[in-house]
Amino acid sequence: MSLEANSEAKRFYSTSSPWEARIGYYRAVRRGQHIFVSGSTAADPDSPPEAPRVRYPGDARQQARVTLEEIIQAIQAVGGKGAESVVRCRMFVSRKEDCGVVGEAFREILGKQNGGQLRRVRGRLVAISISAQSCRQHHPLLPPLLPPACRSSTNMRLQAALLAAACISPAVAIFSDEVNHIDFHHALLGAPSSDSTFFLKPSSASNASLLYTLSDKLILGAVNPRDGALVWRHNISRSDSPAGGAGLLRGLDGNNAVVGAAGDYISSWSAQDGKLIWDQQFDGNNVADIELLELEDVTATSDTRDTLALISGKSFGSVRRFDGDSGAVKWEYIDESGDIPFQVSSSPTEVFYISLQSGLLKSSKIKVTALDPITGRQTSQQVLNTEGDITGPESVLFAGANTASPLIVWTDKAHKSLKINVIGSKQISSLAIDNTSGEEIRQITVHAPHKLNSLPHFLVHYKTGSGAWAEVYHVDLKSAAVTKAYQLPYLQGQSVIATSSIDANVYFTRVTDSEVVVVSSASHGIIGRWNVDASSADYAQAAVAEVVAKGKSVAVRAVVLRDSGDWQLIRNGQIEWTRPEALIDAVAATWVEAEEKEDLAHELEVEGHDSIHGAYIHRVKRHVRDLQHLPDWLKALPQRIVSSVLSDEVTNLDSFGVAKPVIVATRSGRVYALDTGRQGAVIWSVQASEQAWDVKDITARPGQVIIDLSDGSYVSVNASTGKTSTHTALEGTKVQSIANFVVSDGSSLVRLGGVGIREDGSPVTPFNDITGFLVTTSVNGRVLGWIESDNKTPVWEFVPPSGQKAVKATARPAHDPVASIGKVLGNRSVLYKYLSPNLVLVTAVNEKDHVAGLYLLDGVSGRVLHSATQAGVDPTQPISSVMSENWFAYSFFGDAIGESSAKGYQLVISELYESSIANDRGPLDAAGNYTSLHSSGAESLPLPHVVSQSFMITEPISHMTVTQTRQGITTRQLLCTLPSSNSIVGIPRPVLDPRRPVDRDPTSAEAEEGLFRYAPFLDFDGKWYLTHTRDVAGIKDVLSRPTLLESTSLVLAYGGDIFGTRATPSQAFDVLGKSFSKLQLVLTVVALTGGVIFLAPVARKKQVNLLWKAT
Amino acid sequence: MSALPPPPPPQWVVALNSPMPRPSKAANSIPDPPGFTSSNARGGKQVSLHNPTWMPRDFEHVTDMHQRQQQDKQPATMRPEETDTLKLKKAWEIAMAPSKQLPMQAIMMYMSGNSLQIFSIMMVLMLFKGPIQGLINTNAAFAKYETPSTKARLVGVKAVYVLMQLLLFALGVWKVNGMGLLPTTRSDWLAWESERQPLERAFFAFK
Repeated sequence: MSLEANSEAKRFYSTSSPWEARIGYYRAVRRGQHIFVSGSTAADPDSPPEAPRVRYPGDARQQARVTLEEIIQAIQAVGGKGAESVVRCRMFVSRKEDCGVVGEAFREILGKQNGGQLRRVRGRLVAISISAQSCRQHHPLLPPLLPPACRSSTNMRLQAALLAAACISPAVAIFSDEVNHIDFHHALLGAPSSDSTFFLKPSSASNASLLYTLSDKLILGAVNPRDGALVWRHNISRSDSPAGGAGLLRGLDGNNAVVGAAGDYISSWSAQDGKLIWDQQFDGNNVADIELLELEDVTATSDTRDTLALISGKSFGSVRRFDGDSGAVKWEYIDESGDIPFQVSSSPTEVFYISLQSGLLKSSKIKVTALDPITGRQTSQQVLNTEGDITGPESVLFAGANTASPLIVWTDKAHKSLKINVIGSKQISSLAIDNTSGEEIRQITVHAPHKLNSLPHFLVHYKTGSGAWAEVYHVDLKSAAVTKAYQLPYLQGQSVIATSSIDANVYFTRVTDSEVVVVSSASHGIIGRWNVDASSADYAQAAVAEVVAKGKSVAVRAVVLRDSGDWQLIRNGQIEWTRPEALIDAVAATWVEAEEKEDLAHELEVEGHDSIHGAYIHRVKRHVRDLQHLPDWLKALPQRIVSSVLSDEVTNLDSFGVAKPVIVATRSGRVYALDTGRQGAVIWSVQASEQAWDVKDITARPGQVIIDLSDGSYVSVNASTGKTSTHTALEGTKVQSIANFVVSDGSSLVRLGGVGIREDGSPVTPFNDITGFLVTTSVNGRVLGWIESDNKTPVWEFVPPSGQKAVKATARPAHDPVASIGKVLGNRSVLYKYLSPNLVLVTAVNEKDHVAGLYLLDGVSGRVLHSATQAGVDPTQPISSVMSENWFAYSFFGDAIGESSAKGYQLVISELYESSIANDRGPLDAAGNYTSLHSSGAESLPLPHVVSQSFMITEPISHMTVTQTRQGITTRQLLCTLPSSNSIVGIPRPVLDPRRPVDRDPTSAEAEEGLFRYAPFLDFDGKWYLTHTRDVAGIKDVLSRPTLLESTSLVLAYGGDIFGTRATPSQAFDVLGKSFSKLQLVLTVVALTGGVIFLAPVARKKQVNLLWKAT
Repeated sequence: MSALPPPPPPQWVVALNSPMPRPSKAANSIPDPPGFTSSNARGGKQVSLHNPTWMPRDFEHVTDMHQRQQQDKQPATMRPEETDTLKLKKAWEIAMAPSKQLPMQAIMMYMSGNSLQIFSIMMVLMLFKGPIQGLINTNAAFAKYETPSTKARLVGVKAVYVLMQLLLFALGVWKVNGMGLLPTTRSDWLAWESERQPLERAFFAFK
């Protein structure tokens, strides 16, 4: 055996197999991160090449074993890890009956992690070929949130992407030790729904359980209960699904799959890794309920249990049993009686279909149909006399899911008595509700275990306005009689109950204001109690718990969903983690200055406006006042020195404005403050509006944040405490956007005022105190220009031609500094940039004939300076555009219309110059000013010279923005949101230069300028991904903001997840790197000083001696 | 008609025509006896002695003595006109000396490339140092040959000398330009040009 290494490119491994020598191939080849093992069999290495033989003739199992061992050896020989590196395996078996034993050998050697395929071939009994991958990390390009329907169609693309990505994976966008240091990510699910959240062991083999949930945003996810990290998640909402309430999620201990349903879509996912097992969509028919069949058939072969689903159509209800592995329908029971399908449930022997039969006067009766679990045939049917109590599905409190004695629980309308029916019997037990609290009962919930072998106990939780109590009931299995066992006392404040079971024992965990209590269902003795300080106004809504018995005592983990949307895990009374799930669906965000910075800015402002004498006195006073911080400062000094030498980051950059707090407003009316310096930790959060609100704008003012709403009112939020105050508008006019009059003053922005814009594009009030023009858009797709004194008639109006409607208008960012007004060419001549702060880029689309127009307008006169038309544009795909400095970019999906056009996602970039000739400043030449108001004249605005180029890209871009730095010296990055791969990519501007030479290599002058040959296909480099391996889903908007460091730009993405990072498009050139060792520097200086001190007397003595000798 | 071959030249003629073999290296290293100066050594020193601006006065006497000895060997004594011609000739040699450097320097500059590296920069600096020093020392360089009678005629020589130094200087400028160190292009002045400001300002309400 020999290993031949051929530099970086390829590594080969060959064995003494007779076929290898005869045909001339290698056993394994490694190229980059991929290892390919050629077809292997149990070849006898001792046999001659002329007459090759196999080992273990006739024994397929041994042959498979030998072959697989050989393969693993080959993988290890070229640098792979071994069996765990294998990603694909194809096996050919010549006799069908050998498949079983070969499979066993496969499982024995390769374990469970791989998807193998068995195929039949002639000749040898077994032949195996394998592809392995030696890279260890999870790759960013694999989008786990991809909808399963797209998965098969994008399979090829994913493979290609993986292949391309594997080549570049060693160089990632940021260093691994910077992850979580310069960036943070809230991977969110949304508020978990209480009946679809549970702890579950992901497979029968695992010891630890994961926390599974389906949120109100219909995101199905698994969370690691240890640290609250997201393991996997999928969005199971379908855009074409009918809006059908909350989703459902079911899982069973010992089952490998969790099954989720939302609307008309049902899907089964591998509990361990979130891979799709099967899915079904029922066009327009809602899934009303799902259950996993816990009972096992004799015929059952796999670990995956079958699913029962109740599908509610317009005029029928249908119960179906789906095979756990394939999703095939085993049987179907159709009910066409016109009842409202309600739920399915199962007992050890039967499946129950519960429907509501409408009776007189809007009241309903409960009908229970028992079905045979094997065949789905109806075995019995009962109608419970519930008239008067039940009016609809919402008045049934509980319909027992998979308990040993499934129950239906409801109450009478006055909450006087509780009615209980053990499903399968006709008997209704009525129990009086003993309400001693003196308050009206607001809410009754029933908690029962969900396992077949649990004790038939359940708990009823009564909630009043200010407190709650609970009662535990036992069901006698034989007589179906229900008796009250004991009561958990009435307590003021919040109280939530969670049920959990160990084997047959049932435990109830009660989380209240001051404690967490665990009781067994059998007796009222408290078996676990922990004090918890959770007495906030932030009430718990629901909880799930996992109880572990440790000898006589118990340990409990309870996950509590609070009113604020926080999802909190309390382990034995300790809060382990909190996930701010209400952060999902953020609609607006802004950075605010830290408080002390603002104080100083305010003081400086005072000094600036004072007389010289007054300012001097003010300043002296300020410094004297500052002296009070001196002792603290001195005290902190040694620690600061030590930490600056020892800390990871050489310089603490927080004082350079890289750790600014962020204020985020969500659609549900909450406002959060996040500390970007501490992984986006929540500083405070507040419910600023009771209902969902329509936020139009968010602006940071000194000390506070103003959130403008669509009804003209605004909410001001104190930036440091979160105290809110609402200011209603005088006249309730609906505004579609807010105009902010912001001018750039040096490197800071000054806000002069603002005005609301109505839906027709007109300003709500004249803006007399501002000199300038205002450009707005109207809902009917026009762009309007206004002058300060008149808010009735616009001074100009731009109507896109040929039936197009303006869908988007953008302008240069308010802070968009230009470092150089010209572009220096290779021969050191200058192309002057066409720079105007008044430019407007309008994207207009004609949805009928699929034409998109891009119009560059002058915002003052409304004149069209440049226009471009794209035919074959798909208006349903995202069209995004951005403008900065002297260039604009847009992206769309284009169809092949003409000969030269291409089908696919395109990114077009256009640069504007004053003239096509170098060293020429156009007709205005050296004039310092120009006006847009005179179309002809010496000072009028000339048309730009536009250079454009388009690139083909692989993915749609839903949003574009540009990195902002303090002085604009740093290269800009085009930040593109890629919704299909859940990532954000920062494309460096030099790559998108439209002047790149086409179809030829650059001349030396062009090369000196940094231009390289144009390639129509723009492949996103792995180093460009700001999100690196993170899966940043649902991003609607990306913000960028300069810091005091010219190299660094802050980036914040929000909309679904929240992601924040620092972008350094030209590397962090003004920050000392981590390789710079302060300690080494200090030690060197100390050593040199020591050397000088030691050597100085010696040298002096020598000199004196020399003088004596010379004479 | 045949003639007898001429008689062999006498021994001293042979000795005169064919000089002694060069003394060996070892012989060369034998120090001269005190008070003896070999003609070779004197010849080697002559160049530096011609430009004795730094020499003390009495040392010049020694030189003059040498020269006198040399002149004494010549059959005829020099007339003042002849001395002047000789001086002018020497002055011309000095004036034309920089031109001999020109091709060499040009080749060196061409070969060193236009990149900004320590060697090419140092070479350019040396190139500038020569002509500038030469120009400053123009009068000093010709001081020795300047007599009242040659003064008028030396003006032209000096002009040629200055021209030659300027040529060298021009070579340096050409080189510096080639290295892109001269602010001759538009891009060098770009930082001093300012952005054109609009007289009107537009605000936007898109979102």
